[in-house]
Amino acid sequence: MIGEVSHFFSILASGLFFLSFVFSTRTYNGNHNLELLVSRVFSYGFSFILISFLLYVWLAIQSDFSIRYIAEHSNKDLPIFYKISSIWSAHEGSMFLWILFLAGWSQLFNYSLSKNDLLKAPAIGVLAFIIFGFLIFLLFTSNPFETILPIAPINGADINPVLQDPALVIHPPFLYLGYVGFVIAFAYNTAFLIKGDMQINWESVIRPWSLAAWILLTIGISLGSWWAYYELGWGGYWFWDPVENVALMPWLAGTALIHSLYVSSRSKVLRGWTILLSISVFSLSLFGAFIVRSGIIDSVHAFANDPQRGLYLLAFSAVLITSSLTFYVYRLPQLISKNLVVAKSKESFLTINNILFAAAIFAVMLGVLYPLIFDYLYDERISVGPPYYNTIFAPLTFLASAFLVFSVGSLWQRSSKLFYLNSFLSMSILSAFLITMASVYFYQEYQWWFIGGIFSGFLILIRYFFLIADSFMKKNYFNKSSATAHIGLGILILATSLNAALSYEKIINIKPGETYKGDAYEFYLIDFDLINEPNYDSVQAKFSVKDINSPNEIFFMFPEKRKYFIRGQITSESAIKITPLKDIYMTLGDQLDNGYWVVNIQYNFLIRWIWIAAAIMCLGGFAALMERLRKS
Amino acid sequence: MNKIRKKRLVSVLALLSTSFLGVFLILSALNSNLDYFYTPSELIDIEIPQNKRVKLGGMVEKNSVVRDGTNITFNITDYQETISVSYDGVVPDLFKEGSGIVAYGKIIGNKLVAENIFAKHDENYMPPNIEISS
Repeated sequence: MIGEVSHFFSILASGLFFLSFVFSTRTYNGNHNLELLVSRVFSYGFSFILISFLLYVWLAIQSDFSIRYIAEHSNKDLPIFYKISSIWSAHEGSMFLWILFLAGWSQLFNYSLSKNDLLKAPAIGVLAFIIFGFLIFLLFTSNPFETILPIAPINGADINPVLQDPALVIHPPFLYLGYVGFVIAFAYNTAFLIKGDMQINWESVIRPWSLAAWILLTIGISLGSWWAYYELGWGGYWFWDPVENVALMPWLAGTALIHSLYVSSRSKVLRGWTILLSISVFSLSLFGAFIVRSGIIDSVHAFANDPQRGLYLLAFSAVLITSSLTFYVYRLPQLISKNLVVAKSKESFLTINNILFAAAIFAVMLGVLYPLIFDYLYDERISVGPPYYNTIFAPLTFLASAFLVFSVGSLWQRSSKLFYLNSFLSMSILSAFLITMASVYFYQEYQWWFIGGIFSGFLILIRYFFLIADSFMKKNYFNKSSATAHIGLGILILATSLNAALSYEKIINIKPGETYKGDAYEFYLIDFDLINEPNYDSVQAKFSVKDINSPNEIFFMFPEKRKYFIRGQITSESAIKITPLKDIYMTLGDQLDNGYWVVNIQYNFLIRWIWIAAAIMCLGGFAALMERLRKS
Repeated sequence: MNKIRKKRLVSVLALLSTSFLGVFLILSALNSNLDYFYTPSELIDIEIPQNKRVKLGGMVEKNSVVRDGTNITFNITDYQETISVSYDGVVPDLFKEGSGIVAYGKIIGNKLVAENIFAKHDENYMPPNIEISS
């Protein structure tokens, strides 16, 4: 019964969003009452979709297995928050959440935008159209409300055990919030292109929204990376999987957008480019949704294959993107600035980095799509592996770091003199060079990417150190949020380079009572425990580990293997010992006939610092957001 | 041609040539890092250069798994041909006889020496092409 009510509210909401869109197309001649109506009907639409979703959450908590989706992805014995998170553990429910967030962002925007804003009605109209399109997609191709009649199953099929994890409860919501948050920039700029009033200062309107979306997307991606590290048992933080790549593309475009917005709000030179970026970010989010939900590309994360869904998403995205681009091309002559970018000015360096980001996005896009193109052209299956992405990303990152460092001390709209002998830039380059030489000598690592990574990372950190020190001495202003975010970037580059150079693994055979002596640690396998939990049985190894350099320090590690009852699935739970500079990461393999076990021991250097760096970048973004909100 | 136009032309030309160079570099990086995917029947029919890494997908043949210390050997089959695979390391949790997997590595002799073994995180997973050929 509640299921039908929930379903009904979703249908009503789609009608209201459509109505809001239709009204918005009639507001050209500035009919103020109609504009108010657009906004009001939109609010009702949001309330209805919210009610519908809350009822659905209630159904999931109650384990109402007459709803097919809940029966297939939840279970009576699950703790309550996994019952809720089971909603976004597969296609239909996660699409529902996606749409709820889309409507949520839009409603927040609708609520906070002044009713005198000239672009409000058309922007809300664009948003209403997008939400309507996705609701139709949900209701007709991926209906989460579908019922099992007449007899509901006694118990549900459970969610995949690897998804029963706190990080995975919050990872998709953050990711979706980030993805769809860029819809505001898309809709407002599309409205701007439709209206064509060049005096409107859209930069200041969409900047905080884009920043907020960027922060959430960064958190979402980092959470996914962290989860994959400890849960999948592979011990890496990034695998260049297609689904990771489709999240990376909007992130790259979003990063370029928040920088480009910064430039075009200062001087109007990059206006056209910024609008193109704002269209691209949301388009790339749609592309991601298409790739993940059509099952067109084989991936660990892909949802079940359904060509009909893919076709709808592709068609709808094409309508949105082409219509937005058509307006763009139409308005382009007015958008192009008469002024050229001054060489060696701050905006010139930001422009160059924009191009580098575009190149990175192009390279990832090509890597994702090339297997499809190849299959179509030559009827052969290929995949594009991590070496490709590493070869592209390492040099692009080094170049972008260099131009970032150039931009730090440069001036807006004026050519800056950067390379004199005792400038901060020259001193930073010299110090970074010396540190790199020392590191190469110390680690005996001569790979080009290692040298480049250490140099770029230290270059950024040292340049910002000089900037901050100088500002404190002279009591000057410096952009604290930008400095924070870029220090995060410097740490990220250092951590990833050192991680790649220093990490190693050992595969050993061991049985209870034996000791394995590694380079720096001694692993003593005490014995195995059998653990019975309500939803799984587990074999847990007990290791006592001794640091060879300081023998008094002993700690224990418990890698385990679980067998879940309902699906019969076996999962490994890695044991991780965190130290400041490295993780010891232990995975239990199979038992051999002679009583020995295969155990994988990894030493992952500086891997924590990768997520710490991401957190620092988010903090910088958050500071920038607060600053924007205070000003407006 | 006035000065501004000349400047604009130079910058457009510079942009075009760097983008061509960039696209060229990206494409060549792509071409040298492609991994081809084969089923056992396909792999038997063609010559694979030594030291070229490939992906081999199929089912783990029943009663073919032999463990020796940390090393494991088994056969991958598509129910028509089988290829022997050896691997040093921990196999994925979903690896068992009869399950679908993908092995990534070099062909040495008539054997695939795997560097990585992938199993899909879905118990109903079938490697591509198998459903058609079985």
